[in-house]
Amino acid sequence: MGNTPRATRRYSARSPLVGYLLRRLGTSVLLLFGVTIVTFALANLVPGDPIAAALGEGAASNPATVEAYIKERGLDQPLPVQYVNYISGLFQGDMGISLRTAQPVASDLSKAVPATVEIALLAIVVSLGVGVALGSLAAYRRGKISDQLVRVFSLIGLSIPTFWMALVSFNFFFLQLRIAPGSGRLSPALAPPPTVTGFYTVDALLAGQWVTFTDALAHLMLPVFVLSLFTIGLLTRFVRTSVLEVLDADYVRAGRAKGLSGPRLLFGYVLRGASLPILTIVGLAFGTLLSGTVLVEAVFAWPGLGSYAYNSATSLDLPGVMGVGLVVGVVYLTINFAVDLLYGVLDPRVRLA
Amino acid sequence: MRTKFRYVAAAFGLTASLALAGCAAAAPEASDSIVIDTAFTLETSDPGRNYVPTGYMVSKALYETLLDFAGSDESTPVEGLASYESNDDATVFTFTLKDGRVFSDGSAITADDVVFSLNRVAGMTESKANFLMNGITVTKIDDMTVELSTETPSLKLPALMTNPSLAILNSALVIENGGTTDDSDAAEAFLNETSAGSGPYILDTVNFESQVVLTENENYNGDEDIDFTRVVIRNVSEAATQKINLEGDDSQVAVDLSGDQVASLSDGINVFSTPSAQTIFLLINQSEEVGGVTSNPDFANAVRYALDYPALLELAGAGSEQATGVIPPSFLGALENGVDQELDVAAASLEASGYDGESITLEYPNDYPVGGVSFTPLAERIQSQLADAGITIELAPAPFTTQIDSYVNGTEAFSIWFWGPDYADSANFLPFSAGQKVGLRAGWTAEQDTDVVNLAAAAENATNFDERETAFSNFAEALQQRGPFVPLIVPGSNIATASYIDGVAYNSTWTMDIAELQAK
Repeated sequence: MGNTPRATRRYSARSPLVGYLLRRLGTSVLLLFGVTIVTFALANLVPGDPIAAALGEGAASNPATVEAYIKERGLDQPLPVQYVNYISGLFQGDMGISLRTAQPVASDLSKAVPATVEIALLAIVVSLGVGVALGSLAAYRRGKISDQLVRVFSLIGLSIPTFWMALVSFNFFFLQLRIAPGSGRLSPALAPPPTVTGFYTVDALLAGQWVTFTDALAHLMLPVFVLSLFTIGLLTRFVRTSVLEVLDADYVRAGRAKGLSGPRLLFGYVLRGASLPILTIVGLAFGTLLSGTVLVEAVFAWPGLGSYAYNSATSLDLPGVMGVGLVVGVVYLTINFAVDLLYGVLDPRVRLA
Repeated sequence: MRTKFRYVAAAFGLTASLALAGCAAAAPEASDSIVIDTAFTLETSDPGRNYVPTGYMVSKALYETLLDFAGSDESTPVEGLASYESNDDATVFTFTLKDGRVFSDGSAITADDVVFSLNRVAGMTESKANFLMNGITVTKIDDMTVELSTETPSLKLPALMTNPSLAILNSALVIENGGTTDDSDAAEAFLNETSAGSGPYILDTVNFESQVVLTENENYNGDEDIDFTRVVIRNVSEAATQKINLEGDDSQVAVDLSGDQVASLSDGINVFSTPSAQTIFLLINQSEEVGGVTSNPDFANAVRYALDYPALLELAGAGSEQATGVIPPSFLGALENGVDQELDVAAASLEASGYDGESITLEYPNDYPVGGVSFTPLAERIQSQLADAGITIELAPAPFTTQIDSYVNGTEAFSIWFWGPDYADSANFLPFSAGQKVGLRAGWTAEQDTDVVNLAAAAENATNFDERETAFSNFAEALQQRGPFVPLIVPGSNIATASYIDGVAYNSTWTMDIAELQAK
């Protein structure tokens, strides 16, 4: 007992970063524990009878089936016992059985999460590239016509309802112009590649299935385009504001005075200085993309996390809802953790060691 | 630095090229393949455990049942794997298997397979389909003959034997893979990978959240002559997307289009519109404690005759019909005509009911359209029509999952709900009787209308089809005249296909028989 504080101090003194990482990890575990309590409590407080919803009229009128169903899922246990069972199941990778799909929630999510991550990753990469470029352009050309155009574009991106944009772009690019494929992750004639990562593009490449890869990539384009519009608008405005603030900074002036210009000044001085608020918004946007794709997934028949969450919620699939809640919690904690670490990489002033 | 920019530009160019190449690869044409878009309700490929619509559609293609229905006619079962005859009491049904029929592995279908398959469902109490076998005893007579018996007359039994949950499985194969006839059955995992039936298709792959692929059963020796050897059933939850996919030839069949969407389809699309088996109705609670003035039968009569049914039907779209009673069209005992608006009768009934201008709350689920009919505009129109008749209505919408509890518990005074059959037989509508499940939700106890109770019993226990039809008609007529329900609309079922596809026939259980889809 007496050695513990000294050990901790010594450990922290040697490596503040490791100490920080351990503290953050501990906090994250506690937060996840909190997420399980909140999702479990909320799921069980929702009015409605999930058993009747799952079984349907006919089966719900059959006492033998209702009894077997309740017993099989442990729903006859008191709520605290159910919660303990849920938590002990989580430690073994068991998130329960979905009342809607009758499959293990972990298995359902292992298919849904990669589907959403695949579009969200691509969308955030596209958004970052376009948003940084447009935001920087607008800042450099402040007050000029190009600045006005970029600001109007970003406003449009932020204002257009995603669901409407998804339907319109699907109709226009697929049905009218015939340059985009239909809904889903792959054309019906193709079989999904052998699962390694769950990303069809990556898995197809790993399996050497070139046609499947190009088809999967083509199916990604429209959902990514629609999802990116909002994020591009958001990033463009933040980048413009951040870059404008940095452009007047002394070190940028000094750089200019030394003769720096063009990409070197932009990437080496301006964007690096403006990167912290951009990084914050990218982290938040990525989290939103991962957890908020319900409507886009519905339009493009994308079997991802958003569709799974919506279907689980509307059919009172409580294990499904809790599983999604946990995944979203993990996603946000991981992103925040990564963003905090990146702060240190980008800004020496906040480094711990 | 310029070189780096060139690399970036080249990467973007490559990505765009790949995307375009993907687009080119995205529309493969295959005349022997068909793609069906539908909003999935699918949780297993084990027919004995399935009890949801998409699962039925899949099971119907993979497996066969003892009896079947011809096309959309669900009034009389026809031969499937077997023919049948019953005794005079309608308590013993003898099924004789057709000669020479085989499973997809080439093995013969025998009485042992029938006994195992039906007893498996009867023994798996955890199966949602278990109740279908309640009260039915299965006995093997010889290798090709099976006897099904019940304690009481059961003319619904032939209709039950059309249900894909009671499909006949290859017993040897299923037993080999964990199949039993009790709760220890462990064959579901196997049946989620491989089909073990005699239907025109076999299971290729299944993903319960995205798509099911079926391929031709090369050992099939039944009556169907399939045109499409590969079938992809995709989960497309958004009906607007189903419509675009169909118009863009990414799919060939769209199952869930609403009446409005059907009306705006482009040329070259076939639409098969027919009344579904769902009935949307008003519930008027007969319990004074719950409903107050609504418990007076005259109040229900006032509502019944105050409504303008054709005006309500305008909200429903293609294929819909006015509900003529609690039994929808195409079912035994369905009434020919519905109620007509008679404002004089409504006014007299309202006066007799003791209604004094108080506001009545109309509850309904506002996020659960049935057959494309949204309940909010329907409720608003009912509110307007009843206001014209002197009844003040206050609307109380709520999400389905929260609203349904008060409906099931019988605590709603006045509400809009719907009912669909669990299997294709008019016995499904007997729960509307006084003292039965739906009747009690309307606070209608058996003591309040013993005549209706007797009519329901007569329909339940009829021993020949003529007697049964009359009994169901009498039951439906009595409910129409004095029941606490006001049937409003039977929404349409709209199945749209590419112009070169024919053979669509709606069925209330399995939606459509994929094997019957034909290329023109």
